Amino acid sequence: MQTAYPDIPPGLVAHDLTAAAVQLQLDATLYPLPAIYGAAYIFIDRCYVFLERPQPDQVRVVLTAKGGQADAGALRALVGEFANELLSCAWRHQITLDNRVLHETLTMQAIARSMGQPSLDDLANFDFSDQGFDDPLGIALSWEEKHGKKAPAATAPAATETAASPTEPAATTEPAGAGEGVP
Amino acid sequence: MTEAAIYIDLRFHRDLYAGPAIDEAVKVFARFGEFHLSEAPDAWCLRLRALRPAQTRRLAHELANYALGLTVQRGGAT
Repeated sequence: MQTAYPDIPPGLVAHDLTAAAVQLQLDATLYPLPAIYGAAYIFIDRCYVFLERPQPDQVRVVLTAKGGQADAGALRALVGEFANELLSCAWRHQITLDNRVLHETLTMQAIARSMGQPSLDDLANFDFSDQGFDDPLGIALSWEEKHGKKAPAATAPAATETAASPTEPAATTEPAGAGEGVP
Repeated sequence: MTEAAIYIDLRFHRDLYAGPAIDEAVKVFARFGEFHLSEAPDAWCLRLRALRPAQTRRLAHELANYALGLTVQRGGAT
């Protein structure tokens, strides 16, 4: 293997014309392994791809032309296209990592909605006695529980006396079901 | 990849290649050559030669490609 490309920094790329192979030295801290896998997988139908690890933080990619013959220009084009694909895969991998929480949240919501609404049997068997939170302001109380009329006292005066009082309305004037649905 | 006489030695690093993928690749290409698998602390070692000596190099390349493809499809070496 020898370096023969003046437009590439020395030590990164070397080729072997007799074997029709070119090797690319990668820094594993810059290019994550899933990105290298992605680029290699795309190229295995165009050339032979072999991965090596010369150092713990380096990955060497060896690309060999399938025809067995390739000139320096063809190998330069091959390694250049691989590097471009590698950069694309690395960027897509980073986007996937950044949006992982969003994808998981959307997937969880979609699965939860696909389960449908609970049936009447489910509601009948649901345990409503379990108080999941404190409600000191009475927000969760229904309108009837919060503003409903008090039960008549046992010492209430006679009906004839209450009818004469103009300040207290008659209980029978309110239609049945009034106030339902009012938050 | 090293070539001695008619054999070719391949070293698949354990961080980069899945062992089951290499086993599967050897099974697929078993009818085309002779294979000897061994293990090193950091690599899966494979010595191979093709039934047709002129095809040994090509067999090694094709097997390595196949093993890499299976490794990627498995989601990596681990």
